[in-house]
Amino acid sequence: MRYQPVKLLAALSAMAVALTACGPGPAEKAADGTTLQMVESLTNPTRTALLKKLIGDFETANPGIKVQLISPPTNQADQKIQQMLQSGKGVDVLEVRDSTVGPFTSNKWIYDMAPDLKGWEGLDALTANALKVAQQGGKSYMVPYGFYGLSLFYRKDLSQQAGFAGPPKSWTDMAEQAKKINDPGKNRYGYSFRGGKGASGNAVAVISAYVIDEINRDNAFKLTNGKTIFSSPKAVDALTMYVDLFKTASPPSSVSWGYPEMVQGFTSGTTGFLLQDPEVIATVKESKTIKEDQWGTAPLPVGPTGKAAQPLANAGWGVAEGSTHKPEAVKLVKFLTSGDAAMTFSKENSLVPILKSAADDPYFKDGPWASYVAMNESPETYIVVTQPRGVAWSTEWENKADSEVQKLITGKAQPAEILKGWDEYWTKKWAGN
Amino acid sequence: MAATKSVSGRKHFTGRTGLVLFAFMLPALVFVGLFTFYPLLQGVQMAFRNYNLNDLSDTSWVGLKNFQTLLGDEMFRGTVWNSIVWVVGSLVPQFLIGFTMALWLRRKFRFRGTYQALVFFPWAVSGFLIGILFRWMFNGEFGVVNDLLMKTHLIDTPVPWLADARYAMIAVIVANVWYGVTFFAIMILAALQSVPDELYEASAIDGAGKVRTLFSITIPSIRTTLALTVLLRVIWIFNSPELIFGMTGGGPANETHIVTSYMIQVTQEGDYGRASAMGLMVVFVLMVFAVFYLMAIRPREVKRPRKVAAA
Repeated sequence: MRYQPVKLLAALSAMAVALTACGPGPAEKAADGTTLQMVESLTNPTRTALLKKLIGDFETANPGIKVQLISPPTNQADQKIQQMLQSGKGVDVLEVRDSTVGPFTSNKWIYDMAPDLKGWEGLDALTANALKVAQQGGKSYMVPYGFYGLSLFYRKDLSQQAGFAGPPKSWTDMAEQAKKINDPGKNRYGYSFRGGKGASGNAVAVISAYVIDEINRDNAFKLTNGKTIFSSPKAVDALTMYVDLFKTASPPSSVSWGYPEMVQGFTSGTTGFLLQDPEVIATVKESKTIKEDQWGTAPLPVGPTGKAAQPLANAGWGVAEGSTHKPEAVKLVKFLTSGDAAMTFSKENSLVPILKSAADDPYFKDGPWASYVAMNESPETYIVVTQPRGVAWSTEWENKADSEVQKLITGKAQPAEILKGWDEYWTKKWAGN
Repeated sequence: MAATKSVSGRKHFTGRTGLVLFAFMLPALVFVGLFTFYPLLQGVQMAFRNYNLNDLSDTSWVGLKNFQTLLGDEMFRGTVWNSIVWVVGSLVPQFLIGFTMALWLRRKFRFRGTYQALVFFPWAVSGFLIGILFRWMFNGEFGVVNDLLMKTHLIDTPVPWLADARYAMIAVIVANVWYGVTFFAIMILAALQSVPDELYEASAIDGAGKVRTLFSITIPSIRTTLALTVLLRVIWIFNSPELIFGMTGGGPANETHIVTSYMIQVTQEGDYGRASAMGLMVVFVLMVFAVFYLMAIRPREVKRPRKVAAA
């Protein structure tokens, strides 16, 4: 057989080109306009389906624009988004969270939408908290789609059987009720303790409730005197109480409980109390073990001075600096964070809503949502604070603090020792070291 | 003939034929270069840079700083010890159970094909998913492991498997043993099927018992496969943090972190420089291990005395 190298090489090259063309490439022009690449971070199948539906509505309203949604698995999503942003291509609209906005902006990966949002009526429809997030320091790197705020899920029946008239109001009350409910022999425990991934968030919530009178509301890891909240002697009291709550009223294996286990602990009837975001409402409603009349939600437990800090975590949509379709991308962000789309997204995701009009919506006034409304109506008791979740070292901090909470509850370290380390860590980081 | 043979016996890809062969190999070379060597080189140079994804304003060369940081990191040193426990603790039971399974599956019995398929099933599942499954199974309050142990009265109170440092490593190793037994079973079974039946017949005629047959016929016949399978498994177990990640996330209090799971955590924190340094160390250690291991297991040739020519 005679080979024809030139022809062969040409054929191989053509094949290689054809093969590479099969893969997903950066956003290309749709036949009749623009195609936007949008990537989400807190992926779950239900939410992805909802997003696709909302995107469909957007495409109907804007015939010239097509949107391609990328949904990486949650546990790798932020890393994937980082890599996409680093490459400067392939993403127009992205999910930005309070914990990622810092690194994304410091690397100049996301676009400041402030000039585009000027005069947009959607801004007037946002609640004060949402507006604060959308206009941080005069910049608009994201428009939030909702808030994740903590409240207390509790078992009405167990609380009554233990001789209590209602849900606990303070951390001290809760420790007392949880101890009464605790009965390991029946595989029943008082409190769904979070000792695994995310443990530090709940530990900080307790500390914040104890130091609330001196807390800096704009940077809730600082006191008004400029020191960290971990330097306060009250923080030692808070963690001492918290360790006691673990030892006397929580399942032993909750040392390693993350989000799914603590929720499962409550929905399976194993635990009496759970501190969680409103998205859990839908999960508890689906429980086959506990009926609707057996549980309810209550406002956050308060500290010794009768107040609590509500660190509203938030997430939203932003536009990549590398996008070559910024006007269309901003259009999509505006669409998703206003009107029916924003309200639908809040309801179906069980998020604290971003629109003022939600206050008049019966959906947010009834049942489990009532505690959130109650907290909103008492802003001097349940004080909304901003935690420094957007700092570049937030993941490093979470990993460090999570493992140290485990050391604390397994008796490998004492509260004062852990707090001293946390105080030094934040003091150093803020000093730029 | 596609290639010409030189006097030394080596094949030279010359002339038009060689060019054609090269053209055939070119796409593969390009892909391997692009997707293997380019990232590898990127990783190597990151290990010597201040490369932190959270702040890319200064990515200057820092020499051996990342390595020094690691050697001074108490947690890293702990993960090295954990890695050794993880590899040895997983490998030995995997090998013994896998070998036993292979011997059992070699015999002819009804539904052997179905059994083989069931035994090999875990190999098709992702390690991360296995980790999550076992995380729920080992849950202290509503896990099936404690439930079974309580019902069979082997324990009186639930064991907090993943919450207690004493048990957490055992739990992840148990999961890994279950996951990896299959690989040994597959490889050893394939090797066993290549051992001629005549050898067994001969050993039976000579009156050798089962144990003698195992050590005199079976093991020597599949020695190379056993050795290479063990080497591969050591490398894979050392490099497979996904099960630990799914099951304990390295907890409680970092007690189950191995070097590679810690490396992933550092990567997530954005410190690619330190993570790359860890990666380089892992590659170096495994290469040294592989070289020594292969030297230790290579067949020793018996030197025969030369025939002395008749004077």
